[in-house]
Amino acid sequence: MESISGRSNGGQPTGGGLGGRTFSRRWVLGAGATTLLTTGLTACGSSDGSGGGSETIDAFTYGDDAVKVQAAAVDRFNKSAAAKSAKGKVKLVKVPGADYTAKLRTAMGSPSAPDVFFNWGGGSIRAYQEAKQLLDLTDTIEGDPVLKNGFLPAVLAAGDLGGRHYGVPMRGMQPVILFYNKAVFAEHKLQPPTTWDELQGINAKLKAAGITPFALGGADTWTELMWLEYLVDRIGGPEVFAKIQAGDSSAWGDPAVLKAAETIKELIDDDVFGSKFSSVSYVNGGAPAVFAKGKAAMHLMGSWEYSTQLGKFPSFAKKNLGWCAFPTVEGGTGDIRNVVGNPTNYWSVNARTQNKDAAIAFLKDCASQTYAKALVANGDIPTTAGAAELLDASPNPQFAKFQYEMVEKAPAFTLSWDQALGADIATPMLTEINKLFVGQSSPSEFVSALKELK
Amino acid sequence: MSHDTLPRPRPPKTEERPPVPPVPPRRRHWTKRANPLAGLGSVVWLAVVLVPIYAMLSASLTSQDKALTGNPLSPPTSPTLDNYNTVLNSGFGHLLSNTAIVAVSVVAIVLGLSLPLAYVAVRTRNRWSGLAFRLFLLGVAIPAQAVVVPLYLLIAKLDLYDSLLAVILPTAAFAMPVSVLVLVGTLRDVSEELYEAMALDGASPQRMLFQLAVPMAKGGISTVVIFSALQAWNGFLFPLIFTQSDGPRVLTLGLFNYVSQFGVNIPALLASVVLSGVPIFAVYLVARRALIGGLMGVGGK
Amino acid sequence: MSAPSPTKAPAEDRAAEHGGPEEPRRPKGPGSSAVGRPHAAWALPGVLFFTFFAVVPMGLAFYLSFTAWDGLGDPRPVGLDNWRKLLDDDRMVQSLWLTVLLTAASWVFQTVIALLLGVWAAGRQRNRAILSAVFFVPFLLSSTAIALLFYALLDPNFGIIRENILGSSNGAFLAIVFIGAWQFIPFHTLIYQGGARQIPEVLYQAAAIDGAGRYRQFFSITLPQLRHTITTSTVLLVVGSLTYFETVLILTKGGPGTDTAILPYLMYEAGFKSYDFGYASAIASFLVLTATGLSLVLVRLTGFGHMRSTREGM
Repeated sequence: MESISGRSNGGQPTGGGLGGRTFSRRWVLGAGATTLLTTGLTACGSSDGSGGGSETIDAFTYGDDAVKVQAAAVDRFNKSAAAKSAKGKVKLVKVPGADYTAKLRTAMGSPSAPDVFFNWGGGSIRAYQEAKQLLDLTDTIEGDPVLKNGFLPAVLAAGDLGGRHYGVPMRGMQPVILFYNKAVFAEHKLQPPTTWDELQGINAKLKAAGITPFALGGADTWTELMWLEYLVDRIGGPEVFAKIQAGDSSAWGDPAVLKAAETIKELIDDDVFGSKFSSVSYVNGGAPAVFAKGKAAMHLMGSWEYSTQLGKFPSFAKKNLGWCAFPTVEGGTGDIRNVVGNPTNYWSVNARTQNKDAAIAFLKDCASQTYAKALVANGDIPTTAGAAELLDASPNPQFAKFQYEMVEKAPAFTLSWDQALGADIATPMLTEINKLFVGQSSPSEFVSALKELK
Repeated sequence: MSHDTLPRPRPPKTEERPPVPPVPPRRRHWTKRANPLAGLGSVVWLAVVLVPIYAMLSASLTSQDKALTGNPLSPPTSPTLDNYNTVLNSGFGHLLSNTAIVAVSVVAIVLGLSLPLAYVAVRTRNRWSGLAFRLFLLGVAIPAQAVVVPLYLLIAKLDLYDSLLAVILPTAAFAMPVSVLVLVGTLRDVSEELYEAMALDGASPQRMLFQLAVPMAKGGISTVVIFSALQAWNGFLFPLIFTQSDGPRVLTLGLFNYVSQFGVNIPALLASVVLSGVPIFAVYLVARRALIGGLMGVGGK
Repeated sequence: MSAPSPTKAPAEDRAAEHGGPEEPRRPKGPGSSAVGRPHAAWALPGVLFFTFFAVVPMGLAFYLSFTAWDGLGDPRPVGLDNWRKLLDDDRMVQSLWLTVLLTAASWVFQTVIALLLGVWAAGRQRNRAILSAVFFVPFLLSSTAIALLFYALLDPNFGIIRENILGSSNGAFLAIVFIGAWQFIPFHTLIYQGGARQIPEVLYQAAAIDGAGRYRQFFSITLPQLRHTITTSTVLLVVGSLTYFETVLILTKGGPGTDTAILPYLMYEAGFKSYDFGYASAIASFLVLTATGLSLVLVRLTGFGHMRSTREGM
């Protein structure tokens, strides 16, 4: 796929060798180490272009199959008049997905921080905002018709912190969808489920036929989180998590959370994820492969599953990939139209950027038709205002429209829990979820552990 | 018996008869007889060593489609080098040269700093040289993992984040304690009389170091070179935390990233593992005795 | 004029003194002048470098353990909060236990096999030399490469062993032990091979005359003679078992659940996943204290030769 692009030093002051600064200078620094640590010397600014003078800005992005859209946008922008007038070029840094958030945090704490970076909005950038590392884009967006009217207002707002904009949407909407393998469903004369009872009937038939009902990349805990997000929504409605998100950790004690955990335990005891789910990974393509090859019939996953399959198993993606909403749970209060997932991803701008003009000009490109078309061509659903009429050009218009309507009509769109909560709570939460799935804690132990998280 | 465990240079006996490692002057007769049980045990371990290596080589020569379906332990029917091309075209050379730069720099720093230090510890009689030596004795117990957070802070403050220096400097520092101990052990074996003889000729300390101590401590020096080069070559945590972009990416980190890049393209993943071992394997073939002898030095005699 | 003292061979001299090299040796006669001794300042660059990149960070880790810091902005002093949390954290207890268990299991597994292989390889038949050369190959791969190799071989759907090994508690734990052994047994074998070659032949000849068989010779001569080698290997193994962190990170991410989250991993998670660098530093300080304490105990118990001199120093 992607090769390690370019062997340039990437504008890092000392990147790519021992050049740049001499040892003797380091020694001087070393000798003054104690002073240095107490005075907290921070080299200002971000990485400049190699040799100074050029105003390259670094854009960190999540390196997955969909990155080619951003790569094309960067190439286009660098050749554009906007780049010339802002006297800047963008260098795209693709950070491997698995450790994106950690890499971003370490980079943002260092002098070679990116100027522009990919994020999930909301809780995922709160720490940066509190540390005053984010450029407040509210006035820029409000004062620029291209940006102001370029995106669906709800999506633009979903990334806000305290009513201020800190990000510009840069990828498709990513609701979590129940995907199914049409070939397997047809072979066993099954219909997509709308209720939990129907789902259990399907599971029984599939297991009788020796097929694992669900693919699950349990080595990556966030795949397990999706089950909990939907079950809690369908059982107790979106209000349950809204309370938790507002900082009320006792809300984990809501009966809906316990019921959801018990339901998950039933699924595991029922073996619907197969016996090996806890060592199957999503990130390395294991779970998508199991699903595409028909070893598993269904896969609960973010809408990017389509791009992933298109990249890895194109014929399956085009012919046999089906999708539907997560079923309702009998006795639950959640609407089948409620959605969980990520409204989209955002570009945010580092407050310390050396070239704010270039960064803003680059962000504006994300509101362009060209960019939206590139997203559509990649199977993504842009969050730009005029996206609806572009969807016919999608590789799969049917899927595109389903997704667009799903988000448009959703009474509630709950942001993924691990993005909505700060990392300090999200990390132990994911650990507890994994423990529940592998049977190391019971549903009631799970709930009491979550109540402890503060 | 305390001096038994001192790290020492290999006894000069090892200079004879490659490829058999050191041989005592007289044979032990208990080794002359066959030992069926031990022989059996070693064959079992041979299988444990070879099966994963064989599976790796075989899978790396298989095309991806076949790898997903066929029996993984059967030899590849139509061997292909595609996977190796895939890896080599993913910037493997760049990773390799970065790692080589790190390894060479680490060895240079470690040797350049440890040798005078060990020399002082052995030859100079005052409180300071003793204190210096103790500092490094303590250092043996510091796990590098434990200081990665403050080191990261230091690296960031020095504006070294995401550069090769950010990997080189801490790696060298953490290879020093063992290196100093090994060198002290070796230099101690140089007899006082030789120094005194040189002192009679009016030799300076520098000349004594380079004309007497260094030639006599060749074994210890080769141990230090090999030990610190391996530390640098295999280091993973420092590059993981202190670098992030393509520029200063080293081999171990590149391998780690191949997991998400190649995904279930297991043949390509394994081809990258094979390629990562090739340089060291080449050194092993060419300089097996030096490598083995050097490593024995880490464990003392 | 200096006359070297003829009465003492240097080796005896060393055996007689308990101190390390830093102990001022008593002048051995009129000849051992200070002429030609390097100035202590020669050691300064090395000491400064090491202090800056290892000792200062350790001090910093200790300082950070009394603060709250999320990696952005400045650390905020919080007193003993992190240490209280450490003593109160169930995961910490489990993690400590896992770390001890992993180290112990690795020690037993690797020492037994490496010792037997090493003693066997010390023989001089040609086939043993060839086999030794093959046995050594795993050590040529980096921990990362080996972790990836087994990651691929153990992939539940596309690997060689298509079982849920890394997703089951015992499977994951044993996999980590096995992979560590696969990588490091060659190295320890080498150490034992070197040790076994040092055993004087005459001991075996005497035992043979007494009619001792091969196994009695092994237990009454080889093992006792190797005790210092065992110590050396053990110290290296215990300190080295902290590096299994890399294997854990690549293969299991501490999972399934928390069943392979050894201390260094717990620290990594607190620091670089939760961004709670204060708590991570408390775990780190705990690790440093434990490792130092452990190595001191090992040194005391075994009289580990070149560490003797640390008695006065610590």
